[in-house]
Amino acid sequence: MVDGRREEFRTFVARHVAPCAAQWDRDQRIPDSVLGLLGDSGYVGATLPREYGGQGWDVATFGALNEAFGKGSSALTGVITVQAMVSMALLKWGTEEQKRTWLPQIAQGKTIGAFALTEPGAGSALRSLTTELAPNGESFVLNGVKRWISCAQFAGVFLVFGSLRDKGPAACLVPRDAPGVRVEPITDLMAFRGAGLAQVHFDNVAIPPASLVGKPGFALSHVAPVGLHYGRISTACSALGLLQGCFEESIAYAATRRVDDRALGDLGMIRSLIARMGTDAAAASALCYGACQAEDEHRPDAYERTLMAKYFTSRAAVRAASDAVQIRGASGCHESSPTARYYRDAKIMEIIEGTTQIHEDILGKIFVGQARRVAVPA
Amino acid sequence: MTATETQTVQAGDQVRATIRQFITSAISLPNLDDEADLFASGIVNSLFAVQLMTFIEKTFAIEVGMDDLDMENFKSVNATAAFVMRKDGRRGG
Repeated sequence: MVDGRREEFRTFVARHVAPCAAQWDRDQRIPDSVLGLLGDSGYVGATLPREYGGQGWDVATFGALNEAFGKGSSALTGVITVQAMVSMALLKWGTEEQKRTWLPQIAQGKTIGAFALTEPGAGSALRSLTTELAPNGESFVLNGVKRWISCAQFAGVFLVFGSLRDKGPAACLVPRDAPGVRVEPITDLMAFRGAGLAQVHFDNVAIPPASLVGKPGFALSHVAPVGLHYGRISTACSALGLLQGCFEESIAYAATRRVDDRALGDLGMIRSLIARMGTDAAAASALCYGACQAEDEHRPDAYERTLMAKYFTSRAAVRAASDAVQIRGASGCHESSPTARYYRDAKIMEIIEGTTQIHEDILGKIFVGQARRVAVPA
Repeated sequence: MTATETQTVQAGDQVRATIRQFITSAISLPNLDDEADLFASGIVNSLFAVQLMTFIEKTFAIEVGMDDLDMENFKSVNATAAFVMRKDGRRGG
């Protein structure tokens, strides 16, 4: 399916995303009309089954969607990322009632979801969550603060992770209009400025048992990993789009920009930068779509393949954006060139859905384990 | 032992061997006891729980749902094999 959709995605981005991305960045806001268009297009429900209002696309097509959008606007792609995180976690672990209530709304863009995991004192160290669900008769009371939550400014529902006394990590759905929910926008980020980040306060929010997602005790081992997995697929492919954008900008500029009587692309040092960028793009594409295929085939190695794709592609995007600015020189430092925004956005890719260092820690443990098994056969 | 019981035991042994092979391919513990608590021992990485779930879903064509979230179902090779046998009635559980 993926090849048949690529042109559609490119056309949508060229018409509705790329021309506006710089303005959204300056405004630190994506207009509601654009979010509505995203919903109408069905792109936010790309991977959800049709019975829940989604498109039922395979993951490779979802990857191509993120790649196309990533070249146009990382901030808008972030909305697609987060909707996949919330909806796929809910699809796997939600009750039928939760799925019937929320998934069609999310798939059609009528309600935006937010994945409320990170806290002021718990970014990479998820075991340090302090948000608490306390039993209160048959129900629960939620207290805590979440920070750096993408889409929270315009979200209608939050998938919140906390700890339930004596039961361990727990997840629950909290509507934005629930009494005790307060959203405090975070502005002046260096990038992803339209992605609607916010700090979200939960003060004595009543949580009925029917709002728990998955069983208490399994929120960090089973619920969050499904969401983060789709977040990493989306982010890796979005970073691939950004990387491709840097590459295309750079080769076009190198072919036309003159330095004395030579084209910039005739200079060996510029060719070196472009050679690395183009090779990185090809390698990143292979990793990203290899991960998508593994997920489409529901293979256990999809998780580590996705980690590798996100790890490699986000770092390659940072290198490419830096080199793209370097190749353009002063004009690449000005916001009239997409390279300036690429440069700022690329760094965020190394932070979200697990930092580069967290990826290295997990992948390093996996690889060292493989070596041990080779050295000490059973 | 009846023929049916014998078939059930053989199917259980096969399920256990398949699960054991996956687990020993995922963790670096060559002499893994079938009763060893995988999660208490700290030998698994943070992805192992979802990878094990994905493996048994794909290999045995069963779906792990919210009601199945119980560490007793996945804590060891034997526990996981018993869970698969219970979940998939065709195997005689």
